[in-house]
Amino acid sequence: MTDGADTKHNPSLVKRLVRSAVLWTIPILAVTAMALTWFYRESTYKLFDDPLESAITELIASVQSDDGNSSNGELFEDAEIPQNTLFLTREPIDPRYQRALSGRYWMIGSYQDDGTLTSLLASRSLSGEIIQLPSNVKRSIAAKTEFYTRAMGPDENEPLRVFARSVILPSGEPVLMLAAADVREAQRDVGRFALVATALMLLLSGGLVFAVFSQVRTGLKPLFDLRDRVVDIREGRADRVEGTYPQEIAPLANELNSLIGHNKDVVERAQTHVSNLAHGLKTPLAVLLNEAEGSKSKFSEVVSRQANTMKNQVDHHLQRARAAARGQSIGVSTPVADSIGPLARTLGRIYRDKDIDFDVSVVEGLIFRGEKRDFEEMIGNLMDNACKWTKSKVRVIAKGDGKDNGLFMLEVSDDGAGLTQDQYSEALKRGARLDEATPGTGFGLPIVDDLARAYKGSLILGKSDMGGLRVTLTLPGRIDE
Amino acid sequence: MRILVVEDDADLRRQLGEALKDSGYAVDLADNGEDGHFLGDTEPYDAVVLDLGLPIIDGISVLQKWRADGKTFPVLILTARDQWSEKVSGFDAGADDYLTKPFHHEELLARLRALLRRAAGHTTDSIDIGGLHVDNRAARCFVDGMPVKLTSHEFRLLSYMAMHRGRVISRTELVEHIYDQDFDRDSNTIEVFVGRLRRKIGTNRIETVRGLGYRLIDPDNVPVKK
Repeated sequence: MTDGADTKHNPSLVKRLVRSAVLWTIPILAVTAMALTWFYRESTYKLFDDPLESAITELIASVQSDDGNSSNGELFEDAEIPQNTLFLTREPIDPRYQRALSGRYWMIGSYQDDGTLTSLLASRSLSGEIIQLPSNVKRSIAAKTEFYTRAMGPDENEPLRVFARSVILPSGEPVLMLAAADVREAQRDVGRFALVATALMLLLSGGLVFAVFSQVRTGLKPLFDLRDRVVDIREGRADRVEGTYPQEIAPLANELNSLIGHNKDVVERAQTHVSNLAHGLKTPLAVLLNEAEGSKSKFSEVVSRQANTMKNQVDHHLQRARAAARGQSIGVSTPVADSIGPLARTLGRIYRDKDIDFDVSVVEGLIFRGEKRDFEEMIGNLMDNACKWTKSKVRVIAKGDGKDNGLFMLEVSDDGAGLTQDQYSEALKRGARLDEATPGTGFGLPIVDDLARAYKGSLILGKSDMGGLRVTLTLPGRIDE
Repeated sequence: MRILVVEDDADLRRQLGEALKDSGYAVDLADNGEDGHFLGDTEPYDAVVLDLGLPIIDGISVLQKWRADGKTFPVLILTARDQWSEKVSGFDAGADDYLTKPFHHEELLARLRALLRRAAGHTTDSIDIGGLHVDNRAARCFVDGMPVKLTSHEFRLLSYMAMHRGRVISRTELVEHIYDQDFDRDSNTIEVFVGRLRRKIGTNRIETVRGLGYRLIDPDNVPVKK
């Protein structure tokens, strides 16, 4: 039986489900990783920015113009106060502003229209350096009171995050207050988080894909089981779909069983009709033939001749009708030994005068994948043929063909006269009996050949080592352990 | 020899009856399985021709019942069912031969003769006893090579005795095996037929065993009484 569909090029349901799972899982997880990183970055910079903003607030609160009378009368000696300009009544609390190149800086400067920033007052940590803002802050200064920007610090390769605020001093002088901090640690934290988040998301993706794959396999397992049961039926190991299936698949299994049952009914009905037709036609034909043979008149001769033609036509077409119904049944198998034994016994009775020695050798567990009736028709005709022509011995051998292709071999040999090479093809010629004036050529081989072909098998004639004819029949089957 | 034919088709049944009678057999006919089974169960037939597709009780069941009841007469199945599975079940039910329709009368008669011959332990259709030659195939009889003209009842009597040569056969047994069911069974007619046969084939060929019956013997080779 050929496969109805080219499964090699069919898309796999498992692959399709896994692929779609991958298609939605990977982007979602990637977006999640990015979002998490973004949130982490935001909170990191929020924590990072708070001290900068506090420092500016402290600077605003404590800056004074040096007009010789500071508001609180205190002067912080540590602060570097340009002459006649500004001083702080109280420095920002964080001690890192005091330690040189500590990574925490503040500066109060005067921003010129040409883009240069002149330091009016700065933290000790700057060690006399100034925070040089990038040239593009000019727009920010013009547009906003406060903003964040990047700058390079006094230390080597020291990227700073700078919080800047434009302030107009009580003296009316506009200044730009800057608080800055080394941003590398925060960047490293965010980078580490992004790496860990990405790694975790990749791990999660892999886990999810595996989970989806397992789920799909588990979910589809009843379908795979169903497929195995259908294979069992096709190969004749079962005659219906057995087992318990989930709600979604149970109707399919039930429908399959109904279909198999219907197929069996149709085949059986067809065979019954053929059988009834045979019975219905053959008895009247027997009456006609015998009635005509009892008389020598010309009329009787015509009736006899025509009845014989009808008989041959009926035989031929009934055989074809039976062949059409054959090979259609699914889920049937026949143990080879169970059929050959009774046939040998029956043929022994039919040919009891010949006292035939039957040498039957059947491999244990050999199963024919088809109907018992058809198998008996094939092997029965071959054995009957051998019995007709044998002198005393008929040998039947049934074994696997050794190729593991789902076929087995059946050999029927006799020690009769056999056939010549030329007679081989003649013996298999279908319809040969129709051309004969008398019924039967002594060979049921065309019938066997037709049946074997219906089962995708074959029939080969050859010479037996016992001297007579050897017929080798190849049929679908298997060996059950 | 008495044959039972169980066949539901009226024309075929008639043909079979005529052909068998023409061949020298006493024939009873039944048109359904129930009647056929009853006849086979109650009458001592030498052989039965049995169709399988019968009304009331099918042929296989009839055969199985007979065999279960210990009936050993040979049965030839005559049927349109030509599948090997059907032949196997026919033989397994106890049939001795199987002939499929349509068939030639000659073939049926040959098969029947073979069955009767085998049942009586003979190997050929012809039986020779001294100079007496009984040809069951042609339903003819020769004495010392010369044909002897016999009526059908005379031939049946001779054929039955020849089949069971050397054995004492009672009048009742002869009546049961040479007459069909419808014949007026008067055992005195057996004596009449025996007398006629003796005149035709030789008086010393049929021995009367007082109180027991008749025996066909070779007059030149009479067993010595001790």
